[in-house]
Amino acid sequence: MVARDKPALNACRNLEEDLVLYYYGELSEGALSNCEAHLKNCEACRASLAEMRSLLPMTAAHDEPPPTFWNDYSREMRQKLDLAADRKPWWQSIAGLFAPIPMPALATGALLLLALALTFGKGFWQPSSPAPVDDTLLEVLPMAERLEFFSDMEILDNLDLLETLGGQGRGTA
Amino acid sequence: MAAIPTAQIGDEELVASAQKGDRRAFEELVERHKQKAYRIAFDFARDREEAKDLSQEAFLKAFTHISRFDGRSGFYTWFYRILVNVCLDYRRRAKRAPAEEYNETVEHQVEPSHVPANPVAPDQHAIAGQLSRKIGAALDTLPAKQRMAFILKNHQGLSIREIAETMETAEGTVKVHLHRAVTALRQSLAEFA
Repeated sequence: MVARDKPALNACRNLEEDLVLYYYGELSEGALSNCEAHLKNCEACRASLAEMRSLLPMTAAHDEPPPTFWNDYSREMRQKLDLAADRKPWWQSIAGLFAPIPMPALATGALLLLALALTFGKGFWQPSSPAPVDDTLLEVLPMAERLEFFSDMEILDNLDLLETLGGQGRGTA
Repeated sequence: MAAIPTAQIGDEELVASAQKGDRRAFEELVERHKQKAYRIAFDFARDREEAKDLSQEAFLKAFTHISRFDGRSGFYTWFYRILVNVCLDYRRRAKRAPAEEYNETVEHQVEPSHVPANPVAPDQHAIAGQLSRKIGAALDTLPAKQRMAFILKNHQGLSIREIAETMETAEGTVKVHLHRAVTALRQSLAEFA
C-alpha cells in the first residue's frame, strides 16, 4: 500500500449519493442506466468509484476467533440465561413482600384500621364543648349588674324622699 | 415418534417454543446467530471482549423480551434491531472514553487467528496494522447511526430496506447515512486508496 501522490478527483456533486448506491448495487433501474451513461463520460466519477472499490472492502474488520472462543461464548451465554431465568420481574419481587400470611395479616389490618379511625374520627367521639361565650357579653354583664344596682340605689333615694314626703303629710292631717 | 432435531426446525418455530418457556429452543437460536451477531458487534466495537459482551447482552434482551416478538418481521430482523440498539448505547457510553484507549484496545485485541498461506513480510504487517488502526479511528469518528448503517451495508451486506427496518427509520435516511459515512471514510483514508 503506497500513499497516493495526486489528489483525488471529486465526483460530480449531484451524483455523489447515486455513486455510493451504484457501488452497493442499490440503484433503481432508471437511476442505474443514468449513472452508467454518466460514468462512460466522466473521469472524475469513474475515479471516485474506483477509490470506493479499493477502499471500502478494507474497512471490514476480519476477526476470526478460535473454536475455543466459541465454546466459551456458548457456555457463558448459558450461564447468563440461567441467571436471567431465575431473576423475577420487578413487580413480582414487590408482590412477594405481600405474600399472604393469614392471621398476622388480618390482625395488622385491623390495627391499622383502628389507628386510622382514631386519628381521623377524633371529632366524632368527643362530646361537643359548650359554645364559647361571647367575650363582649362577659364585659357587659358586670356593667349591667352595676346599672341595676345604680337603678336600685335611685329607688332607694326616692324611697327616702317618699318617706319624708309621707311623714310630712301625716303631720298636717 | 422421534423428536425432530432442533437443527432442522426453522427460526419461527424455535421462537414459538422459546415463548412457551423452552430454554433449549432459545439456546439453539443463539447457536445459529451468535457468529453473525458477534461480527456486527465487533465491527462496531473493534474489540473482541466488548463484541462478545455486546452480542451476549443483545441475546439476553431478546430472551427477556421474547414474548414481545409478534412474527411481523423475521426473528433475525427483530434481533438485529435489539443488537443495533445495544451497540448504539455502547457508543454513547464509550464517547466519554479517551481516543487513546480505543487505539490501544484495537492493537491488543485484534489478533490474526490463522496463519496466512503466504506469510506477510514484517514491514507489510506493520503497514496492515497501521491501516487497521487508521480505519478503526476513521470509523470511530462517524456518528453512531452513520457507522451502524455503514457496517450493516458494507460489512453485513444487508439491503437498504433491511437496514431501514432494523434501524427503524426511512430508507431515504439510510441512504443519507450511507453516503455521509462513505464520504467521511474516503476523506480519512484517501492516502490508502
